[in-house]
This record gives sequence, C-alpha cells and structure tokens, in this order.
Amino acid sequence: MALREKIHWVTLVTMAAAFGWYFLVYPWQIADSPAGVWATAGLLVPMTIAIIVVMTVATAFLAIRNRAEVDIEEDERDRSFHMRGTHYAYYPLVVGIWINIFLIFWGVSQAQQLNLMLATLAVAELVRIGAQLYLYRRGT
Amino acid sequence: MAKPPFTNDIRTLRFLAGEMTQGELGDRVGVTRQTIAAIEQGKYSPSLEVAFRIAHTFGKPLEAVFQWDESAD
Repeated sequence: MALREKIHWVTLVTMAAAFGWYFLVYPWQIADSPAGVWATAGLLVPMTIAIIVVMTVATAFLAIRNRAEVDIEEDERDRSFHMRGTHYAYYPLVVGIWINIFLIFWGVSQAQQLNLMLATLAVAELVRIGAQLYLYRRGT
Repeated sequence: MAKPPFTNDIRTLRFLAGEMTQGELGDRVGVTRQTIAAIEQGKYSPSLEVAFRIAHTFGKPLEAVFQWDESAD
C-alpha cells in the first residue's frame, strides 16, 4: 500500500473516532439552551488538538517507515481521485446545508444548528476520504 | 467499478524492454509505480498524455500499447 493511501486510512480513522467521540459525549440535554453552544466549543478545542497531534505523529511515523515514497509528488491518478472524492462529498454537504436552512426557519436552537453543521462536515469529510480509498482499492 | 474499454500490453513491453520495472517506467513517464500497476491491471484509464508518454518510452505507436476492446462497443 502506498504512503499516500496509508495516510488517507489514518485520516479516515482519526476523523471517524474524533467526531464519533464528540457526538457520543456531547451533553444533548442542554442542546436547546445557550450553554449548548459553549459545550460545543469546549469539546471542539480538545478534539481539534487531538486530531492535529494524532495526524502529525502518524504521518511522521509512516513517513519514516516509507522514506522512499516521501518525496513522490501527486500524479494524475492521485489528483483525479482527490477531485472525485471532493465531488462525492459535495452531495452530503449540500443536503446538510439545506436541512440546516430549513431548521433555522423552524426555530431550532443555535447549538442544534451548530451540531448539524458539524455532522454535515464530518459526513462530507468521511465520504471524501472514503471515496478516495475506494478508488485506490477498486480503481477507475 | 467498470473496467476501461481497452486492454494494454504494458507488461509484455516492459519485459521486452529489459525487464523494466513498474517503478522505472513510472519515473520515465512521470507517474507513480502504483499508477503504472493500476493501468496494467485495467483499474485506471490514463490521460492521453500519459498514454502517449508510455508508448513513446517503448518507442511504439499508441495502438501497439493500448488496444480498443471490440466487445466493449
């Protein structure tokens, strides 16, 4: 497996674990109050730091173990898969944004809107990385 | 995923070119070893530029490297 593909796997697992943790530990009982927004901030800060640390350590570890591939630049296949992954991720992103727009008119709390936006972002990212990994495995 | 509607003789041509490795061909064409492997296995359709570069590396016309699969019509 190529270094680039390994890094995609690490990113997928890290993102799934980080957002999974966020939605599991979020205090949903206060999601309809202003405190819910601050709860999001309180969880996002350690989550973001954890993602940066894990990705940095894992990428450095993989780079050391695959030194020959470190300087290899993206080629047309990598760029094509990246673009297609981004294209597929666009759909959940648009659906999530439209749902959020309707919920704003529905009078849903700010914290719930924030959580829906985060869920939309998480799904879009997982679709993007997942699609790239699928294309690397199955091809075309 | 559907296979490309053409086959290729890259593996044979590599063998005839002094058992050139996928990595060597990739370096000469400007793509990674994995991309050459994917093209050989019919898992990736290269751009016209890369297809021509591969043919040029072997000193062959494009049709000698890539053949349209008539059953794909």
